[in-house]
Amino acid sequence: MIELEVDLGGLRLKGPVLAASGTFGYGTEVPLLDRSKLAGMVSKGIFLRPRTGTPPARIVETPSGMLNAIGLQGPGVDALIRDYAPLWASWAFPVFVNLNAESIEEYGELTARLDGVPGVAGFEVNISCPNVDQGGMYFGNDPVAAGRVTAAVRRRTKLPVWVKLTPMVTDIGVVARSVEAEGADALCAVNTFVGMSIDLNSRRPRLANRTGGLSGPAIRPLAVHLAHQAARAVRIPVVGVGGIVSAEDALEFLVAGCAAVQVGTATFIDGGAIARVHDGIAAYLASNGFESLEELPRYLPRD
Amino acid sequence: MFETSAPLVERRQVAREVFVLGFEAPEVAEAALPGQFVNLLLRPGPLLRRPFSVYRAAESRVEIVLRAVGVGTAQLLSLELGDRVSVLGPLGHGFAIDPGWRSLALVSGGLGVAPMPITAAAARRAGVEVIWVHGARTAADLCTEWEGERAAWATDDGSQGSRGSAVAAVPEGVDGVFACGPNPMLAAIAERWPDAQVAVETYMGCGTGVCLGCAVPKRAGGYDRACSEGPVYRAADVDWPALPGHLHYAVGV
Repeated sequence: MIELEVDLGGLRLKGPVLAASGTFGYGTEVPLLDRSKLAGMVSKGIFLRPRTGTPPARIVETPSGMLNAIGLQGPGVDALIRDYAPLWASWAFPVFVNLNAESIEEYGELTARLDGVPGVAGFEVNISCPNVDQGGMYFGNDPVAAGRVTAAVRRRTKLPVWVKLTPMVTDIGVVARSVEAEGADALCAVNTFVGMSIDLNSRRPRLANRTGGLSGPAIRPLAVHLAHQAARAVRIPVVGVGGIVSAEDALEFLVAGCAAVQVGTATFIDGGAIARVHDGIAAYLASNGFESLEELPRYLPRD
Repeated sequence: MFETSAPLVERRQVAREVFVLGFEAPEVAEAALPGQFVNLLLRPGPLLRRPFSVYRAAESRVEIVLRAVGVGTAQLLSLELGDRVSVLGPLGHGFAIDPGWRSLALVSGGLGVAPMPITAAAARRAGVEVIWVHGARTAADLCTEWEGERAAWATDDGSQGSRGSAVAAVPEGVDGVFACGPNPMLAAIAERWPDAQVAVETYMGCGTGVCLGCAVPKRAGGYDRACSEGPVYRAADVDWPALPGHLHYAVGV
């Protein structure tokens, strides 16, 4: 029996594979998944108030990837607390809420509303959504703003605070250190890359939002590099995310210095992707003579 | 909802460049209702699944109808008999047949023929008379596979049936109207029959309600998911000007 438990900044997870925000809804939608393999999930991004999202077309497939501009459609925090948190409270894995706001104050207010709600195990602060006009990535690509958002959330909760970083920066290490200094318990690296696709029939962007976030295997080598750079820059754990479909993909992030991973777009194709990745990591460790994930050597030369 | 590795057991051409593929998927075939869809995964193949209306579901076989519009459909059409794909389904909410109806018009344009055979069969079982009106660009583009009692054809060039759109060829006095075709055609249906049930086409990510990519704008505001609340809607409930009219699939490699 291979030990896959992970210590993520003091939080014990039963495995290294989590469901990424925006690809797992509120935990009730994904079909045909063996939930016993799920180490945790991050909810679809939530704002204080309901949001209708962006007009269609919202999705376009690209080579080995997909561009999306959903615009953080969601029911708002009241509905989340009323409709979903009570379910989460009975689940066998922790649920993190992905926090979104248009101002630093609003991030704090949202955290205060959710702190202590049964079923909410912690927070993933989204400072990296590419598809909202205000907030999102505009906090994530400014190290000072990123730190201030982190501090605003940190002040209002003792639950684990993770911060999801954008890849759209010159040096992810600078943002990572700023967020770490303001009290983040872990980092998630990375969110989607901003991309664009043109329809040559209409000679206009395929997405109504003009641009979208690129996910899927197309971004994986980029994401492995950025997660690695973030892990080199900080002492807190890094959760790797970006284009993981198989156990081998996840293991690349783990060897590159990540403590855990999130599986996202792959869940859209195969509800069992997370379970497959979990089992495949165990099989790799066993066939390479390791008894636990902790024994897996990490390639992590420090800055 | 089932996910099964299903072999290709049938391929036949039904119009110019248009083919029916049949997959052996007993659980999906048994569960499929009119207007529902299946989501197919090719490996190796493009990243996302490909959604198709169920064309027919009988004798443990699920049939779809398609034309090569991108890399996924091209790859599906190059499958050999016995090759397997992952079939996920049935998905979505389809057509609701009112057993009190005496007559039902099925109106389809081009590949909008897709949900009509399974729907016609269900209507006949419910004792409802079916009138199928199907349109395409030319006679060669018309899929005329049909088991129903009454059918009428329409072509843009008049080479078969009436000249013009299928919508114009629908007789008066039917109790119900179900339609599928290009979204502009469905918008025209909504003008004439607000209570018609129409199956819309959108780009789709997951097909299971998670990704929110298949947004259908509603007249009442906000968005539905074509994969979950849809793909069939009351025609007047859709905000047609806000729904992309013609979809262009192109992934490249």
